[in-house]
Amino acid sequence: MEHQENIFPEVTFQPAHVDNAVFTKKVIRTTVILSVITLIELALGFVIYFMHKNAEYNHALVLFIKGVITILSLAKAFYIVSIFMHLGDEIRNMIMTIVVPLLLFTWFIAAFLIDGNSWRSLRNTEGHSKTYVEPVQEVQPEAKKPGSVE
Amino acid sequence: MSTEILHGHAEVVSEAHGEHHEGHHHEESFISKYVFSMDHKMIARQFLITGIIWAIIGGLFSVLFRLQLGYPDMSLPFLEDIFGRWAQGGRITPEFYYALVTMHGTILVFFVLTAGLSGTFANLLIPLQVGARDMASPFLNMLSYWFFFLASVIMFASLFIQTGPAAGGWTIYPPLSALGQASDGSKLGMDFWLISMAMFIVSSLLGGLNYITTILNMRTRGMSMTRLPLTIWAIFFTAVLGVLSFPVLLSGAILLLFDRNLGTSFYLSDIVVKGEILPNEGGSAILFQHLFWFLGHPEVYIILLPAMGMVSEVLSVNSRKPIFGYLAMVGSLFAIAILAFLVWAHHMFVTGLNPFLGAFFVLLTLLIAIPSAIKVFNWLTTLWRGNIRFTPAMLFAIGFVSLFISGGLTGIFLGNSTLDIHLHDTYFVVAHFHIVMGVASFFGMFAGVYHWFPKLYSRYLNNTMAYIHFWITLAGAYLIFWPMHYEGLAGMPRRYVDYSSWESFKMFADLNRFISTVAMIVFAAQLMFVFNFFYSIFKGRRLRTENPWGSNTLEWTTPIHPGHGNWPGEIPEVHRWPYDYGKDGREFIPQTEPIGKDESAHH
Amino acid sequence: MSTAQAQVQTKWWGGGKSPFNLEYGKVMMWYFLMSDAFTFGAFLISYGTIRFSQNYWPDPNKVFNAFPLMGHANLPLAFVSLMTFILIVSSVTMVLAVHAGHNMDKKGVVKWMAWTIVGGIAFLACQAWEWTHLITGEHAVLIDGKIQEIGTTVSRNPWGSEILGLEHGEHHVTKTGPVAFGGYFFGITGFHGFHVFSGVIINIIMLLMATNDVFERKGHYLMIEKAGLYWHFVDLVWVFVFLCFYLI
Repeated sequence: MEHQENIFPEVTFQPAHVDNAVFTKKVIRTTVILSVITLIELALGFVIYFMHKNAEYNHALVLFIKGVITILSLAKAFYIVSIFMHLGDEIRNMIMTIVVPLLLFTWFIAAFLIDGNSWRSLRNTEGHSKTYVEPVQEVQPEAKKPGSVE
Repeated sequence: MSTEILHGHAEVVSEAHGEHHEGHHHEESFISKYVFSMDHKMIARQFLITGIIWAIIGGLFSVLFRLQLGYPDMSLPFLEDIFGRWAQGGRITPEFYYALVTMHGTILVFFVLTAGLSGTFANLLIPLQVGARDMASPFLNMLSYWFFFLASVIMFASLFIQTGPAAGGWTIYPPLSALGQASDGSKLGMDFWLISMAMFIVSSLLGGLNYITTILNMRTRGMSMTRLPLTIWAIFFTAVLGVLSFPVLLSGAILLLFDRNLGTSFYLSDIVVKGEILPNEGGSAILFQHLFWFLGHPEVYIILLPAMGMVSEVLSVNSRKPIFGYLAMVGSLFAIAILAFLVWAHHMFVTGLNPFLGAFFVLLTLLIAIPSAIKVFNWLTTLWRGNIRFTPAMLFAIGFVSLFISGGLTGIFLGNSTLDIHLHDTYFVVAHFHIVMGVASFFGMFAGVYHWFPKLYSRYLNNTMAYIHFWITLAGAYLIFWPMHYEGLAGMPRRYVDYSSWESFKMFADLNRFISTVAMIVFAAQLMFVFNFFYSIFKGRRLRTENPWGSNTLEWTTPIHPGHGNWPGEIPEVHRWPYDYGKDGREFIPQTEPIGKDESAHH
Repeated sequence: MSTAQAQVQTKWWGGGKSPFNLEYGKVMMWYFLMSDAFTFGAFLISYGTIRFSQNYWPDPNKVFNAFPLMGHANLPLAFVSLMTFILIVSSVTMVLAVHAGHNMDKKGVVKWMAWTIVGGIAFLACQAWEWTHLITGEHAVLIDGKIQEIGTTVSRNPWGSEILGLEHGEHHVTKTGPVAFGGYFFGITGFHGFHVFSGVIINIIMLLMATNDVFERKGHYLMIEKAGLYWHFVDLVWVFVFLCFYLI
């Protein structure tokens, strides 16, 4: 069967073999990193939660914290893909074919969100028939006891 | 360790291939050979024939609505005999007209020019031209066809539903498509459409993943990426487009199914139907358009790129000249593939897209002119001073270039958001995309069928019928769509059933009748091609030589009747690029020939 | 074409071999996951788009503040943290299963696959609880001038802004919130849950194949690696679902 002939010694279909101890260390380290990032994200989530309690909170700061959380999530994604999915151990060719197409997401996200934002302004101005007034920030309901079921 | 793995891999492969050995001593059953075949060549034939059947249905629909448009006052009782209340009094009802237009678009865009075109030629050409025994996964390849078949069955079934098939246009924009109470065509037929498309997406994903993996992983020795024929490059980028954009349509379709059946409000807001205020609130119909066109625009390149690739190959072979600017051709394919993902909203300039955002889409859209112009220039310079053989395939390839130029130029008009205010939704748009995407891709497909028919069926198509087919189709394409530009510039909108009562467009009655007449003649010519196709499978002139066109690529090194596994002995090794035509006084030098000692420098 | 710079001798793209040094099935799995990333991407981006088009969006800290058996305690984000942790742990056990496969260690594969399956089922159970809680947990909302008690479903959302001064029993009364909130929440977590579910099924099949020595006979555990890629992808998607629905 020579569906794909393997006359090339460099073709092993395997990343370089890793030592068990090294591997275990790597997995533990990644697990710890992922858990710690998650905990930081949660902490930042609570910061937002407490800021929201005050009706006059700093919007820019909340936005900034959300940005930080997003970057932390991307870091988590990086660790999962690179260590757990072993992409980091593949050869460069493979890494590139995965990473480069993901760049398409930048324009995908940007264009969609910009347009979504513009629908909001259309709604608030009734299709530009009246001038734009920033809507009054509505009060978030206080965290309440969930209903009867539990 | 590594030898273990190597050994293991061979075993994986042989399992996936079932019983296949090089000698093919064993008899295959009818079912495993013709129905659930895992041979890429048989799957290609299945895709092609299914595509042809769909093309006849889709083409027939266009004849039916052209009848209505050309002869709005005429009553044809036989229509009522066939279609019942859809054609009461022998005249096509507006609802039926919408259904016909919708199905015509859906069938031709997805079932014929996506599945029928890349399904056929990707399956046929990838293993043969890269030098592989079969696809990476023959089993998934078979599933790809059968998911397509399932999608076909569901779509076909929707034609026979009492409330009719989907009728909201092939773009199925909500809210019309989301609300069953809005029209008959948005009832059960729409659900069938969405489910059929979901199956179709599964099919094209399975196919696309296989194509990409095979091209990257399964090339024979010496077949570096820059020695790939341009057909393979084109199919590769087509598959990448499909794999990355079809999932987005899947998401959009799933959300639409939820809006239709679960009462969600993804696309719906502030709607009153027949006096009833709907509870849906907060969604956006434009969101669907974004999701749809994120696939929809790459989709037009999914249709066009394989045609471009085959045309490049056919032009070079039949001009007996190397393709001009091989790397520029690959680069422009790559540029088109990238831009295809960035320009989707140019379909939405007047639907409520933020005009400021639209400006960026204009810019990106007009950038497509650059790689397109590079390709056209290279095709023309390939022809320049060539020793041209006007085979039917070559004629269709040249016809493709002609259509691509004339259709592409109107794209520059439409890519401008300001001009689009006037031109959107007129016959100008219809003319533009039919020429540049519809007919041009069909020409690429015909070029492919005429060129590779000997490989598919070991016989030739009839040449006389082929030439008649070409000239009628080329003349017909221009006679049908050229006048539509004038109608469109005059502002005549598309998707209307009858223009005779419309003071501004009454004057086009004769022109419309002319277009309809030509459309019927062209349709008849296509039926002649279909006859030629099936007749030649059984009765065509036999292929006597392995390499009828004097071509360099690997598929012509296989036997006249290639078995499962393609090459009886070892897979040939490749030593050169596929375009050594007219080099060193030799007409052609196949890829398998080692570079000679005193051969002039390589490309 | 480019020659990998690191290995001077190796022309990875020269043909006759995989340019990635990968077996075809793994390449296919990677590209399938790419395309699935676009499916999820499209869902999450639509969600973002609709959210950007609204003036008001519910605060996740207030919607997701319950924990099983904790009654009415206000524990924002606690339960979802547990779910996230379960998924991370099951990813780790999957890594260990794949590693055991590399070492041809059947017992290790079976053990870690079993734990991975347990993790997947635990996650699905958590999700089932969370959905039930949201759908059945009713809140006082002012609709058409009347106070009604409604749960969170794909077509109703009680998490609107508070109407000051209006009380129902001991609870505040709110307006209805954006309907798309429930639609996207159930749609996307449902689609993710469907992936977890199919991942569990795949893992169970792998486990059975491993116990029946299928891979021992093949001489390699590549199938486990492919299942592993899928499973990690499910975890990866959760990172973004967690981010978009619970954190920001």
